[in-house]
Amino acid sequence: MDDELKMLEEELGRLRPAAASPELTARIGRNLRPRRRAGVLLSWLALPAAAAAGAALVILAPKPAASAAPSVFKPVAARQVLLSARDEGYVQLGGVPAHRLHATYVDTITWENPAEHASLTWSVPRDQVRVIPASFQ
Amino acid sequence: MEEVPDHDSWKEWFERHGPRLLLYARQCTRSLADAEDIVQDAFVRYWRNQRKLRGEPLPLLVTSVRRAAVDLARRDGRRAVREMRADGQPEESGRMFETPLEGDDRRAAVEAALRRLPEEQREVLALKIWGGLTFEEIGSQLGQSPNTAASRYRYGLEALRRELPVLAVHG
Repeated sequence: MDDELKMLEEELGRLRPAAASPELTARIGRNLRPRRRAGVLLSWLALPAAAAAGAALVILAPKPAASAAPSVFKPVAARQVLLSARDEGYVQLGGVPAHRLHATYVDTITWENPAEHASLTWSVPRDQVRVIPASFQ
Repeated sequence: MEEVPDHDSWKEWFERHGPRLLLYARQCTRSLADAEDIVQDAFVRYWRNQRKLRGEPLPLLVTSVRRAAVDLARRDGRRAVREMRADGQPEESGRMFETPLEGDDRRAAVEAALRRLPEEQREVLALKIWGGLTFEEIGSQLGQSPNTAASRYRYGLEALRRELPVLAVHG
């Protein structure tokens, strides 16, 4: 490398890259906040026929991000769990004998917001009573 | 290896190394906003998941920034078109360097000349001069041989000398 090129190299080396903007530093700071549960609300609501009923709402770690994705929650998973089922025998339905079946489920739906890296899970107990007219042959 | 401390000290670390990282990101992107976005993504990912890894952090971050720049270019071609000026040159805003002792005209001339270089020369110059990486490290991070990195560096310097004769003679 000739002297002129070395001088240019030295002069370039004396240039100091510009500092990052305060906005960028602030954005990084928001992103690096410890992930934690922002809040947990658990309130089981009484349902007439259920021993356990209610809703659980869990919001996990909302945080801003640089992504251009719209800030909306979208459902990403749904699950149905059967807690119990029982045969309640025969009942009268408008004077007609019927077979009564009782099942208790918990439905769990999960939403995610990719823009904020947040997720929300909603669990709802559900009672299902089926009354099936009986036919005797 | 530089000791990378825990928890809140990211700010001190970023103040020291962030400008070099941002300068490199600007060589791979079309706008300051894009460069800031990918630096943010790369740095947050590094600080959360990779800072305990062995090795020098800057080359790791360079790789991360470069991948993010490639992803961004693939993902958002429309934005690239929108940011082209009428003369076909990419839209740029914000200075790359602090004002040197030689004055602001000199800085502006260097930045303009740097922007006119091909990207493969710009990024090698940025990593060598302001990033402090060796040709070996640059080649490893950019997926090229050290000789290729050295050649691109020299071509870039020679092109700058043609654009900035006064700077070279009087620097």
